Amino acid sequence: MHGLNEIYWQVQASLPWLLLLQLLPVGGALVVYVLGERKAAVLAGKVFALLELALGIVAVSCLKPLDPALQLAERFAPLAYHVGADGISLTFVLVAALLTFLMTLYGMSRGMISPGRLFAVLLLAEAGLVGMLLTLNVAWFAAFSALELWAVAYLLRRWASSRAETQALARFVQYQGFGWALFAAGCIVLGWGHAEANGGRWSFDLFDLMAAMPSGKFQTAAFYLLFYGLAVRTPLFPLHGWLPNMAQHGLIAVAPALMVGVKVGIYGMIRFVLPLTPAAVEYWQPYVVGFAGAGVFFTAALAFQQTNLRRLLAFAVVSHTSLLVIGVFSLHAAGIQGAVLLAANFGLAATGMWFIVGFVFRRTGTTELHELSGLFERIPFLAIAFLSFGLAIVGMPGTPGFDAAHLVLEAAIDKFGALSTVATALGNVAAAGFLLWAFQRAFLSQARAGGHDVDRTLPMEYLVCGIALAAMLAIGFFTEPWLYLTETASQAAAARFEP
Amino acid sequence: MSLPLLSLLIFLPLAGAALLWLLPARFCRHGVALCMGLVLLLATFVLWRFEPSGVRFQMVEQAAWIASLNVHYRLGVDGLSVLFLPATALLFLGSLAASWNGIEAARRLHYSLLLLLQAATLGIFCALDTALFFVFWELTLLPLYFLLGRWGANSGAGPAAARYFLIMLAGGIPVLLAFVLLATAQPQPVFDLTLLLEQPLPRSAQTAVFLLFLVGFGLKVPLVPLHTWLPQLALAAPGSLTALLVGLKVGAFGLVRFAVPLAPQAAQDMHWLLAGLGTLAILYGAVGMLAQSNLRVGLAYASICHVGLAVLGLASYTAQGAQGAISLLLSFSVATGGAFLLLECLRQRTGSTDIHALGGAAKTMPLLASGFLICGLAGVGMPGTSSFPGEFMLIIAALHSHTGAGMAALFGLSIAAGGFLALYRKAFFGPVLHQEVAQASDLRRREWLVLLALIAMIAAIGIYPGPWIEIVRPAAEAWAAGLGR
Repeated sequence: MHGLNEIYWQVQASLPWLLLLQLLPVGGALVVYVLGERKAAVLAGKVFALLELALGIVAVSCLKPLDPALQLAERFAPLAYHVGADGISLTFVLVAALLTFLMTLYGMSRGMISPGRLFAVLLLAEAGLVGMLLTLNVAWFAAFSALELWAVAYLLRRWASSRAETQALARFVQYQGFGWALFAAGCIVLGWGHAEANGGRWSFDLFDLMAAMPSGKFQTAAFYLLFYGLAVRTPLFPLHGWLPNMAQHGLIAVAPALMVGVKVGIYGMIRFVLPLTPAAVEYWQPYVVGFAGAGVFFTAALAFQQTNLRRLLAFAVVSHTSLLVIGVFSLHAAGIQGAVLLAANFGLAATGMWFIVGFVFRRTGTTELHELSGLFERIPFLAIAFLSFGLAIVGMPGTPGFDAAHLVLEAAIDKFGALSTVATALGNVAAAGFLLWAFQRAFLSQARAGGHDVDRTLPMEYLVCGIALAAMLAIGFFTEPWLYLTETASQAAAARFEP
Repeated sequence: MSLPLLSLLIFLPLAGAALLWLLPARFCRHGVALCMGLVLLLATFVLWRFEPSGVRFQMVEQAAWIASLNVHYRLGVDGLSVLFLPATALLFLGSLAASWNGIEAARRLHYSLLLLLQAATLGIFCALDTALFFVFWELTLLPLYFLLGRWGANSGAGPAAARYFLIMLAGGIPVLLAFVLLATAQPQPVFDLTLLLEQPLPRSAQTAVFLLFLVGFGLKVPLVPLHTWLPQLALAAPGSLTALLVGLKVGAFGLVRFAVPLAPQAAQDMHWLLAGLGTLAILYGAVGMLAQSNLRVGLAYASICHVGLAVLGLASYTAQGAQGAISLLLSFSVATGGAFLLLECLRQRTGSTDIHALGGAAKTMPLLASGFLICGLAGVGMPGTSSFPGEFMLIIAALHSHTGAGMAALFGLSIAAGGFLALYRKAFFGPVLHQEVAQASDLRRREWLVLLALIAMIAAIGIYPGPWIEIVRPAAEAWAAGLGR
């Protein structure tokens, strides 16, 4: 009963939507690249991003959320190509598509240099993300991951100008390269285990691997390699060292949003780590949760020390990511569902905040908190949007974070007792603390005389933040469809661990 | 199918907040006044339609909201909550009048936030689903944060706003946790208040729920060890806002509505805790008030003292106690709210509410001074004012159930009355020493009209309390019956 089932796409849909979902951004990247720096390239980039979002919605409409099987599946044996989707993966796909679309709008409003090239790389990164979210083969997952990392590294390099930026890039490559290598090693351990059990036939397919799960030390080794590989990517405390530097010096907003907007690390844990190494997961669960709980507070404390808005946001991301890991490792249906929704919420909210930081940076040329002041007077809409995104991260009612955090709390009470749950929830208040503190300093404080004469909000900025805010409030007040979409899939993921 | 009155009541201010942006900035105050006036009319209509002797919850509206979690959009009023609706509407109208000339910058934003706050507050009193209640409960924080932080009375307003926000956010966690515990104790999650009231928790689980509620709501009340945010806030916030913060007793309402009925046995086991906290608050508030030189902070301490009395009376767990507590809270909404609003008028005229900067203010502002005296006397429970019936019932209930604490409460209340009169004397009587006081003008007509409405209510309820108390009585009896008393 703990095995996996799948439904092929021919049964459910007229077209192989998942294949199209993966090919469209690649094709878009090619078109935009060929168009070069013409005006049409920018338009094409936006159109492709919007089409991808529409495709994602079509795929969701074909899905039967109440069926625990993986759906719309496609296989092509010679390439070991195997994809499938359920409510969880499509939720992430939608987030990825929406964020990419917003980034294309954002890129325009910031007036970046060579937008054509930027959009091509952006679409390529999206292709990597979507590929990771749809594939059912760990090796393909690793390959897509490499593609996306390459795209982000290219972004960092192409638009880097100072020494600090080069350094941030180096740190990024070191960490991600290491994390990727760990994950790849984990894949090899799994594939090897399969080969041992099946007379030398190697496979990285999730279905095959589930049939011949590694046992004993092999499983522990596989768990550690995969988990830490993904933990670097997520990033999970204490493996977050690459993020603050990249956030401060990298291409503002776009690079961090690509890396942490879509929580593929969390997705990878749910899709691969939990089913493939269940015994090890159960054994190490208290340690993982303990570390994550400590991470919530430790990074919150670090966030309080920051003087730069971009670094501060980076630590906020690390802090709330720990909460996601607690949700996943509660191994409870409500906890996993909560973590998925919370991941979508964090992705949307954090990206919105990065965008606003980008807008502020364009006006003031700095994100140092002591140089910012009185922005509320000049850009009240962006200020309120910033705070609203911050409150979504904290799980304020009316944002998707509320129901999601509610589910995680429910699971945590069930599994770890009320006391530790209260402690974790207080960590969330700490997060609210530093976000408010930053808001206070940058937006609400008295404007200094001789300060920057800050431009008013532009229409494009209204549009970008307005879409993100509207999406968030709409999901926040009408959570029902999203709960429906993810419920069965979360139950299936947790069913392995029910006694 | 009758009109969804309560939804209308909640969504009217929200619609007003949105429509405000279509009006030219010059007329936005008038638009807000119109909207708040309509809310007051509607709230009065709800009160008129309400039948005290009818079923417990009336005008109930229900719609599915989050079906898989069994959360509903469910509104309704009973005798405990229905009077709070017109009181809230009146207080917001007063707050608007007091800040009429005080808001210079970004008026439309200010008033739309104020309307948002009003909608959320009305929602708190109407919600019959614990999750919905919590949404409204937390929703009040956002407008309050901006109103305090952006339009504060002094430079300390920003930090005070942030502190208030964080404390209340932290206070939300135990409340939410208690709701989740209550919901998950049933075979399938239940957030419906009426169902929860019918199916009490096992006794062992009640203790945790009650304590969580006590911490969460106690922060908002505020009960004494949890009150530290209030004096600072009273100083930093403009008076029109302090009136709302102190006048709206949502924390105590939460105790009456949720904490005690949903964990009845634990509440009765721990009656000593509730009574002790109440008594402590009375004494602490009274003594603290003696040490103040600023009228606003003094009133903040007075409100700590009075809510303590409500909590102490509540701990008797009798119908009389609950009835007294609700009457007293309502009366304070009007009286303390009115007093804070007058202080805002005073601050706009003299630039300060500190007694050292005042002195002799009654000479130049006789109307303001007499209005403040009436509100203040109502605040200390003078017979003939609206607080007296409630206070009387509470003290009798307290003397019956906790005689020692009741005696201490009487003692504390007389100190508070003395403290108020001493502050009043120093601020309003004596020679005029300061230029600002000598040049100040008395209340304008608009302010005077609102004040008159408040005083009329204080006097009417004080002299002829029967009908008001009758509205609360059946619900209070049902409340006590739910506790097995």
